Amino acid sequence: MKITTIRDRENTQKFLRRLMSACLLFMPVAVQASSQTPTIKLFPTTVLEEIKHTGNVAAEMETGLQTVITRLDEQQTLYMESKCEGNEGDPGCEQIARQMGNSYLEMLTIMGDKLPEMETAVNSTSASLEKRIRRELGQKKTSWSLQELLVGEQSASGKNADRPVLRGRSGMRLSDRFHQYYKLVARSGGEVNSSLAVVASDIYLDMQETSSLIARTREEISRATLMEQLNQSFGTITPEMQEVVAGVKSILFGEEEALTPMTAPPASQPEQGYESPLKL
Amino acid sequence: MNKSRVSIVTALLTVAALTTALTGCNSNPPIATACSLPEGPNLDHAISAARFDLETGCEHQFDQYFQRLLTIAEGDPKKDNKTSFSEFLIWANEEGLLSKRQARETYTRYFGVKYVSLVSDYSVCDQTCPRQGEVMREMNKELVDKEQGLLKISADRREYYRANRLFQETELVLEATCEACGPIE
Repeated sequence: MKITTIRDRENTQKFLRRLMSACLLFMPVAVQASSQTPTIKLFPTTVLEEIKHTGNVAAEMETGLQTVITRLDEQQTLYMESKCEGNEGDPGCEQIARQMGNSYLEMLTIMGDKLPEMETAVNSTSASLEKRIRRELGQKKTSWSLQELLVGEQSASGKNADRPVLRGRSGMRLSDRFHQYYKLVARSGGEVNSSLAVVASDIYLDMQETSSLIARTREEISRATLMEQLNQSFGTITPEMQEVVAGVKSILFGEEEALTPMTAPPASQPEQGYESPLKL
Repeated sequence: MNKSRVSIVTALLTVAALTTALTGCNSNPPIATACSLPEGPNLDHAISAARFDLETGCEHQFDQYFQRLLTIAEGDPKKDNKTSFSEFLIWANEEGLLSKRQARETYTRYFGVKYVSLVSDYSVCDQTCPRQGEVMREMNKELVDKEQGLLKISADRREYYRANRLFQETELVLEATCEACGPIE
């Protein structure tokens, strides 16, 4: 009985991934904001305050979800160890399946309760970053001066290793990437540097995606809840539900993925090369 | 009969002598009979040959000569090659074959980290975002040229890595910035 659709599962998993990333991003930044407020133009106090608020909302949601996800994991283990697969008619298995369904519903309820606030916070932060990026990078810079900003920090030897691995294409976990962002933002002091332009761009684009995902997830939650309630009346769990639990487990407890940067720095030591008078 | 034959020969010799004399007085240098691109593996020899041809009537084929020199240099990659090409382009500028700007942009396109595709006078929102796709395609082509210049000719992996990294960062930052700039009106 495949009532909970693949789309539900994918949306839920995608959202959870971003949620966990957001928590890792926002929480340390919030701490940093309270202790040492940076004066950089891409991350002014107002943006940091919004990030702090979004971080708090994300943290609350994560706390609530973690409990129910842990329970779901335990229930799934019990279901598997009891050899309930293919034995759905067994009363004991039916009971475990119902408990899993209840936990799943609880997870959907928590998400449904918290998502509106989360959506508002993410959209607000995204809008602030958008304004900053438009002004500082879009209107104050030409494409040539923008590249000079980006290349500026590269020339300082020994800093390349600290630069963030870029989004999406790298295959890096979002949480790891955001952790790198935090380290860069926290280290930045009062300077505007190239890394922060990259970090701001990356966070902004991820926020845009997250915002869109939250909107889609909110639309799906009501339907997914109804479908799961119907499932409950049949006393069984779906393969999709099991996959959701597995996915959530990997997100929360961190099954390591290969951290493959897009491009690896050369092994050779940097050396002072020829400088042509023609070099722009 | 013999007398007339001698007259004809004398006349021909006179014409030949005059022709030779006129050619000798011509102030223009002799035009190279054929603009043959340099051959062989030695870059210095090839540059010398190219210089000779380019200053003796083959200047209209500057691009072909430059491309040939790049190909020859690929056969012996080393950091000194950058110097050779820089000096060659400075010479081309001094000879009036290239403007200073052309010389700079050509050198930077192959041997610099920065992208001449990003040269602009107006803001990113106004000038770059409306042609973001085109700019990225141009940068991509330039990255291929930098691969040739920095990696295959100069064996400078570090600088090529920087150029590659700059390409990726620019792509990301432009994507975000153009998104933030809003729709093109």
